[in-house]
Amino acid sequence: MIEILLIVFAPFIGGIIYGFERVVRARMQNRQGPPLLQPFYDMFKLIDKQAFIVNPYHTILGIMHFITLWVVVAFIIMGQNLLYVIFLHLLSSIFLILAGFSVKSIYSHIGSNRELLAALAYEPILIMMAVGFFMVNGSFDIAVIREHGASIASLFLLFLAYLMVIPIKLKKSPFDATEAHQEIVGGVEIEFSGIFFEFLYMAKWLEYIFAYLLLMLFAGDNILLGIGLFIGVFLLVNLVDNATARIKMKHLIKIVLSLGLTLGICNLIGLAYV
Amino acid sequence: MFDLKKYRKKSPWILHYNAGSCNGCDIEILASLSPKYDLERFGVINTGNPKQSDIFLVTGPVTYRSRERLIELYTQMPEPKVVVAVGSCTCTGGVFRDMYNVEDGIDRYIPVDVYIAGCAVSPELIIDGVVKALDILEKKSKEMEKPLKLFKEAISENGVVNRRNVALKVGEVHEEN
Repeated sequence: MIEILLIVFAPFIGGIIYGFERVVRARMQNRQGPPLLQPFYDMFKLIDKQAFIVNPYHTILGIMHFITLWVVVAFIIMGQNLLYVIFLHLLSSIFLILAGFSVKSIYSHIGSNRELLAALAYEPILIMMAVGFFMVNGSFDIAVIREHGASIASLFLLFLAYLMVIPIKLKKSPFDATEAHQEIVGGVEIEFSGIFFEFLYMAKWLEYIFAYLLLMLFAGDNILLGIGLFIGVFLLVNLVDNATARIKMKHLIKIVLSLGLTLGICNLIGLAYV
Repeated sequence: MFDLKKYRKKSPWILHYNAGSCNGCDIEILASLSPKYDLERFGVINTGNPKQSDIFLVTGPVTYRSRERLIELYTQMPEPKVVVAVGSCTCTGGVFRDMYNVEDGIDRYIPVDVYIAGCAVSPELIIDGVVKALDILEKKSKEMEKPLKLFKEAISENGVVNRRNVALKVGEVHEEN
């Protein structure tokens, strides 16, 4: 029963996290910041606005991106297979990339290209994470992983690698070249407007739920440690976001692939032989 | 059923366009978004995307080169929208009035809702103007207020489409549009 409620209200919980994050970032810059429910005000405004449809596939793919992400979050909450979750999440990214390529806007194409390159950089780390969880717990099932103890000690290097994935997924500095707010005006989301942009906006909230639920898998059955990890990483990601500038796409791939892959492979080799 | 209209006021997203300004007003706009004045506490985001914004902040007297872009951006914004003219140049032409390369103010091309005078405008005045614009935004309908035809036909020369000088002035609009 709790699971169903969590799944139904997942986008709204994500919205509250997003609103809270905007307040935290404002306080870090010594500002007052918007109200906590600001994402929902944006939502109601976007529903009320006139919407332009560039072509039908573009809008449908945008909505599909949102629905697939919701299914991914539902799978994590229900404790399904971790590999399914990761590949289904890749599918939702692919929908967004196809939507970006289906319009004529150059910024949209650049955004899609960067989205693809970013997927190339972070996807191996996610898969290695799944393999690491399998080696520690003997199963890919999230329900089984949640029943075992905390695996953060034995998967510490993979945890560090995953810390680099979170800013890419949540579009945070220094790894926010995929969205690049003023530089390529949002990338793939540039041609969405009105209620159709709302679906992308809500998909952004679901990405928060996805990223932090995967993070809490490292804590296993220790709920207190999970909440501690969530709060610590949440503050760390926002601090880094406020303190650093955006790096180029080329450097993003170099840093994430070289460092992340090395950390992940070291961890897996260590698990296999030690 | 609750009224969606009241949420327009709570999340205004701004599009800022420089139509040949000296950058004085642009710096003041950025200052009003900075920690000291903090426009974001009203929910304002400086999007750079016309398709997702509600308030069109224009600075500068409209130069000949920027007319087409100005109207292009205006037509790409979804209804309801408000236009705010920031600075003396944008309202009347200011010190550039009657110069050969300048149109005197943006209201010769697009309808303006709020005029903010000053050279350069202070951040307090910008915040006042934006808050005034929000009251107007709440009352607007989704229809375009005046069915003006904003563009002339583009001229095609030897298969190359020339879009220079396609922007129409308000006085040039024919009545049958």
